[in-house]
Amino acid sequence: MSKKRTTHFGYKEVDEDAKAGLVANVFHSVAARYDLMNDLMSGGVHRIWKRFTVELSAVRAGQSVLDIAGGTGDLAAKFADIVGPGGRVVLADINESMLQVGRDKLIDSGYQGNLEYVQADAQYLPFPDDSFDCVSIAFGLRNVTDKDLALRSMLRVLKPGGRLLVLEFSKPGNELLAKAYDGYSFRVLPLMGKLVAGDSDSYQYLAESIRVHPDQETLLGMMEDAGFVNCEYHNLTGGIVALHRGFKA
Amino acid sequence: MASSLDPTVTTAALAALEAAVNQALTLDPAAQRSLGRLAGCTFAIECSAPAFAVYLQPGPERVRLLGFHDGPATTRVAGTAADFAELANSSDPAATLINGNLTLQGDSAPLIELQQILGKLDPDWEAPLVDALGDVAGHQLAELLRAAFSNGRVISRSLLRQLEEFIHEEARLSPPRLEVEDFYADIQALEQRVERLQSRLARLRKRMAQAAS
Repeated sequence: MSKKRTTHFGYKEVDEDAKAGLVANVFHSVAARYDLMNDLMSGGVHRIWKRFTVELSAVRAGQSVLDIAGGTGDLAAKFADIVGPGGRVVLADINESMLQVGRDKLIDSGYQGNLEYVQADAQYLPFPDDSFDCVSIAFGLRNVTDKDLALRSMLRVLKPGGRLLVLEFSKPGNELLAKAYDGYSFRVLPLMGKLVAGDSDSYQYLAESIRVHPDQETLLGMMEDAGFVNCEYHNLTGGIVALHRGFKA
Repeated sequence: MASSLDPTVTTAALAALEAAVNQALTLDPAAQRSLGRLAGCTFAIECSAPAFAVYLQPGPERVRLLGFHDGPATTRVAGTAADFAELANSSDPAATLINGNLTLQGDSAPLIELQQILGKLDPDWEAPLVDALGDVAGHQLAELLRAAFSNGRVISRSLLRQLEEFIHEEARLSPPRLEVEDFYADIQALEQRVERLQSRLARLRKRMAQAAS
């Protein structure tokens, strides 16, 4: 009898098949208050990280962009402004609740015409080869069961010369900052989640999933192994978050 | 050009500056329309000391300020912070741009047009005040602010002129501009005469050496 393959779900080891369902439950639970919690947890700095991501994307008018795990559509809205009516932005998320919140928010803000919404798994992207000039995934890769498979899938849908941007929590470079960050993540975040979103477990998972996510150099190696070239990363806010960028040859 | 600062800091600063510029532009629709004509241009401002780069992209409704830009720039201006300060304070920016220490690459016409648009920026503060305070109070406060700004401009120009006169003529702390230019011209003429004399002496020495041998 073959042994079942396992993966991380925060600090827990779970069957690979079960992770997607467990992550889905987390995001069903937090979807309604996702934006509010992001602002509270990061003090609004997540907007700066996303702005930096858009700058490094170098997306221009008329281009096509895929925003994976796009959630409530912060990046997709910025990309839609830049690509204009002649461009195309696809907001993809595996989670139905997040996609619904994002779609409602963007439609209410007047975004239409160049934006599409797709419920999709990052590991098996339902798009033809060489479809996009830019693929972005912000705070989503750590929730994916098989990150290598997802990176290869992103490479496949990118046009030659296109770029992938991975914005994700990472490892702070400074010991003192790392300790303060640990205290904040494991004590303050779950409490904040309980008070604001009525759900401390999801925010406990958030803190744990960040700790088991690959650090800057490991993720860089994973991108190179997947086939990306000219890979680099930028540490943001002392390395609490890192933006990785790689190109399809 | 990479800055040594954490990108979070530079990106936040640029975001704040961009918001302020765009807010001012919404209050001056004429400037906003003029900027729209420069849509598609990218202006690169590269400072070597301290090291940072800012890229300005005007659009039909708003401008974007970026810390990173991949691709060609319409106009690239490079120099130190002191060179940029000289340009900002100059009464004739076009002349400073050409004669100063700044390095200019690309098309200078859109840059001069941009400078003229920003120089003429005249936000109408009445609109947001009326929105916030109502027609009567908003209009009166706007009138007061307009008068204060206008008087302030006249007073500052007059103060500047008087201060210049005091420094040059009364206290004699610094010579007037014409005197300095005259002095530099004399030095330049002297330098040229010394150089000519030097080469004449060298020629004579050479001839004497040839005659002796």
